[in-house]
Amino acid sequence: MKYHQVNKSVNRVDAYEKVTGKAKFAADLSFPDMLYAKVLRSRYPHAKINKIEIKRALTFPEVKALLTATDIPNNEFGVIIQNQQVLAKEYVYYIGDGIAVVAAETEEAAERALELIEVDYKELPGIYDPEEASKEKALRVHPELKDNQVIHHLLRKGNVNDGFTKSDIILEREYSTQFIEHSYIEPEAIVAVPYDDNHLITIYGSIQNPFSCQNAVASVLMVSLNKVRIIQNHIGGSFGGKDEVMSAMAARASVLALKTKRPIKMVNSRYESILESYKRHPYKMKYKIGASREGKLLGMEIQCIADSGAYACQTPFVTWRSVVQATGPYSLSNVKTDTYGYYTNNVYTGAMRGYGTPQTIFAQESLMDELAGELNMNPAEIRLKNIYHNNSITASGQKLDNHEVSLEEVIEKAAKESGYYKKYELYKNNKSKPGDIKRGIGMAISFRGCSLGAEAVDAAGAIVAIQKDGSILISSGLAENGQGLKTVLSQIAAEELGVDMKRVIYQELDTSISPDSGSTVASRGTILGGNAIKEAVVKLKSMLLEMMAKKYKMRKDYIIIQDDYLIDRKTEKKLLSFEETVSLAYQEGLCLSAFGWYKAPDISWNEETGQGRPYFTYVYGCQIAEVEVDTGTGKVDLLKMTAAHDVGRAINPACLKGQIYGGVMMGMGYGLMEELETDKGYIKNANFDEYLIPTIKDMPEINPIIVENPDPNGPFGAKSIGEPTLEIGAAAIANAVAQATGKRIRHLPLNLERVLLGYSLSKGGRKK
Amino acid sequence: MIDYDFLSASGLEEALNYLYKLNQVKVIAGGTDILVNIHNKSKRLPEISYLLDISNIGTLNFIRQVDHYVEIGPLVTHSGLMHEPLVKEKLPLLSCAAHYIGSTQIRNRGTIGGNICNASPAADLLPPLIALRAEVELTYRKGKRVLSLEEFLAGPYKTKIQINELLTKIRIPLPGDGYYTDFQKIGRRKALSISRLNLAVVVKIDEENIFRDARIVPGSATPYPQSLPGVERAVNGQSIHKINIEEIGRIMSEEVVSVTGIRWSTPYKKPVISTLVQRALKEVIKEKSKNE
Amino acid sequence: MNKTKVTFKVNRKQVFLEVGPKERLIDTLRNQLKLTGTKEGCGIGECGACTVILNGEAVHSCLILTGQLEGSEVLTVEGLEIKGKPDPLQQAFIDCNAVQCGFCTPGMLMSAKALLMHNPHPTREEIKTALEGNLCRCTGYEQIIEAIESVAK
Repeated sequence: MKYHQVNKSVNRVDAYEKVTGKAKFAADLSFPDMLYAKVLRSRYPHAKINKIEIKRALTFPEVKALLTATDIPNNEFGVIIQNQQVLAKEYVYYIGDGIAVVAAETEEAAERALELIEVDYKELPGIYDPEEASKEKALRVHPELKDNQVIHHLLRKGNVNDGFTKSDIILEREYSTQFIEHSYIEPEAIVAVPYDDNHLITIYGSIQNPFSCQNAVASVLMVSLNKVRIIQNHIGGSFGGKDEVMSAMAARASVLALKTKRPIKMVNSRYESILESYKRHPYKMKYKIGASREGKLLGMEIQCIADSGAYACQTPFVTWRSVVQATGPYSLSNVKTDTYGYYTNNVYTGAMRGYGTPQTIFAQESLMDELAGELNMNPAEIRLKNIYHNNSITASGQKLDNHEVSLEEVIEKAAKESGYYKKYELYKNNKSKPGDIKRGIGMAISFRGCSLGAEAVDAAGAIVAIQKDGSILISSGLAENGQGLKTVLSQIAAEELGVDMKRVIYQELDTSISPDSGSTVASRGTILGGNAIKEAVVKLKSMLLEMMAKKYKMRKDYIIIQDDYLIDRKTEKKLLSFEETVSLAYQEGLCLSAFGWYKAPDISWNEETGQGRPYFTYVYGCQIAEVEVDTGTGKVDLLKMTAAHDVGRAINPACLKGQIYGGVMMGMGYGLMEELETDKGYIKNANFDEYLIPTIKDMPEINPIIVENPDPNGPFGAKSIGEPTLEIGAAAIANAVAQATGKRIRHLPLNLERVLLGYSLSKGGRKK
Repeated sequence: MIDYDFLSASGLEEALNYLYKLNQVKVIAGGTDILVNIHNKSKRLPEISYLLDISNIGTLNFIRQVDHYVEIGPLVTHSGLMHEPLVKEKLPLLSCAAHYIGSTQIRNRGTIGGNICNASPAADLLPPLIALRAEVELTYRKGKRVLSLEEFLAGPYKTKIQINELLTKIRIPLPGDGYYTDFQKIGRRKALSISRLNLAVVVKIDEENIFRDARIVPGSATPYPQSLPGVERAVNGQSIHKINIEEIGRIMSEEVVSVTGIRWSTPYKKPVISTLVQRALKEVIKEKSKNE
Repeated sequence: MNKTKVTFKVNRKQVFLEVGPKERLIDTLRNQLKLTGTKEGCGIGECGACTVILNGEAVHSCLILTGQLEGSEVLTVEGLEIKGKPDPLQQAFIDCNAVQCGFCTPGMLMSAKALLMHNPHPTREEIKTALEGNLCRCTGYEQIIEAIESVAK
């Protein structure tokens, strides 16, 4: 099929405003009579609050309001479990907990007022290790709960002991990963405007998920949803990170706005952002794998423990994705997987690009290489021997029969482009001396369930409104987070309608207009949003064609819309221009707006067994890393990353490549340098001088390979790309480093010390 | 909250008068350290009543050769050190080290004077400057004094500058014929990277191919940059063909540890400083061989 | 707290301002002059989102006090477009998909512009050096480099 609007690298619809500085981010907004708010945060990771003395702060000139927990109508919120405090009431559970919030005429005055608040704490012992937290007699983070467990998911398939009994080789290994900061370059920002346009409160902000924010604010204010309006701004990156932290911020700003009856602006500094915002979960993972001498996998037993930090946040769903995908894309008859989340007094953890898979992929893909090493096999060979194909049955018992299972294709394409086999042999036989610079090559693969899966309701809506001059407004309930959704959905609308994309304008998400479509997460924007847009366009198109059929006394299916004309398909004669057609429809009194709603195909999950159909389709990827390791200093230089991803269909190849480049770099940071360091709950690196993300100088040569196997459930066959690009890189790098050095590192990141010494160092001393 | 008044001096005399008359004056030039400290409300900051801007004093921004010295004004930026032909040609060690500082924006604004007065243990310019035997000229209202840089540094983030003094010149004797230099740096990433370790080496190789006058100064290895006489002695007098470089590495490690004692970072820094000194010596030997 | 009078040029226009002792250039641009294209990402010169061109050089506007700027010339992202026409560099960022969330973009553009002002035909390595102080979490930098290369040919 030939496409006119999709499958093309058209320019982003929001690029002009972004390159000229015209694009307004939340911190750029100001409203008449606006106040500025600042938050006082905890001094300790765990403490009882005896008393908060605010008198002195209140006497400070310019201070207009000061809130503590008792001023919050409903102080606890959460998407899954409602236990996150808007402001700390009796206890602070982590170092980022807010205790009070001040609104003042200037930001500086608000900050000065904070210094005048006196908090009388009783510092309490805390728990900072999820394994410790899992013990029966462990101190409880939330005293009202019976233990520290947030969640336990399990998956059982076959009998894992049978598998191990039949195995010629069994490996048991432990892996761990670190806290990761999202590091969106824009720190969180909110403006809350009270009593505007019939709404109680209108919130502008860098909000990834306007609907979850609307839900949280309404629940905190104890008002109905229609009183709370969220208008999403340009958002300076999110990667899963601007959700609950924004809800807390929006809730605080809203209460202040209603109390002062003035707009409230709150902008975090980077330090405040890193201190308060949730992180990627650190995992401790135990893997046991059994295989035949020939490398056929016979059994896998997995235990993953996630550090949830102070709150539940997204831990129940993050660890659910882990339980589904923890084996990796390998056919196994016998699997036993348990994933757990535990409360600690560390910074809380939540959604971040990848969402519970970068951790398990690091473990499982390292383990596959370790197994290959033990069996003296090539790592690609052992993977090819065990991967899923069409009609394979996954660990959760799902038959992969509704899309192309393209693992073999992505592996072979990445291997060919990177020269994998040749380089692998070359570097294997490299006889260099200690202290030298050595090279290695390593691969990792993944399968990834698209969209939410059985975590939650999975549906999205869109509105397409053709204006009487033939221009088009579209909106959907999914949000532009920088990934390019506005552009991609505009392309899909134009393609389906047969018109030029220049006609289309995508409107900012406004919860009072857009249909609640859940969160823009789980790489679901294109597949869910695209289907919803298509649905709406199909309705409008059908109506226009019907009108035309009547007018020209033709069969409806003989008319098509192409290149902005309504055309007789048989004679290829132009009947009317799109504008003329629309004008006619308008005069006939037809409704030129349509609503599209797409509900994802049915899925299922049995909590007792971990069996079912957790996702309606999957994407597949393979990344191959080539590294140079300085064995005299531990410095790893990532030379090249080859990234092959099956996306179903590339709606916009340039945007898609942008996702691959960005994902590879984020994966590189995860693998080599990033680590939010904590010491008994205190955060040690709370700005970009010490929390290091890759710079332009660190980038390797990146070779993106787009593989297209259109999916029957995707708009024009498109699926997902955002998360797959990030989740496998660290594992590929770890495998390459292991080949280069001959030493396996089972803990991320592979920083200087780990690579040189095999363990990491911190001021507290030696770490794993 | 840190509060202060802002003062600006357009000439040296005005600046010195402020320093003489007022108390708790902190000097700002490029601002790349002090404004970070103010932003972070750093505990390292002294009490400040006044911030005195000297960035517009044109007479403090110069690079010139005077006899056997290169004289550098304290307001010369890191970019200036990188690009100024005189520095590139006569003191390549310094312009090479300047490349590694922060980022382009930091190098465009940060100054050599600021790098010296901030006296960070990880400063990238200090080891090369010490190895080059740089001297600093300190001026006060009624006179001036000159100290060797090594003497000037008094501890981590500490110098011997008096409250009424301004750093007005950095004077670097030109290494004579037969001198070779090298700079090594290890950071956690390739840009915007604080030195995990760095090392400056200046050494003469005489006509008999014997090392003489070795100056070996590591950064981020000791509480503040200082030369290491033990390893320098071990290098001096050795032939470039016969020197046991691994042994030099071992001596270097031992000497660094003897200065710092065993610290949390020692397991890493001990072997790596050895690697760096070995690499630096191999580089100068290679350079020497190229010249033959 | 004293106020300082300062006169300098912003985007080719003279401005006369009174600034407080702590007012940084980024504060002046965003708050006094309402030029919000320049972004603050870290406040300590590590992310580069606040990069502007000062007297021809890329600098962090978060690490300069406005009081220091007497007689200087500042160029911000708002000053790149001339008479409503985007600078070729801006157009290249649009054409090469060098923008995702767009928050680092103004800083990237200013670092790139400063480079091209000095060196109209930089190598890939020189481009990387010019942009090493600008963090981007979305794009992985590749398409930004491609955009700059496309105007540097």
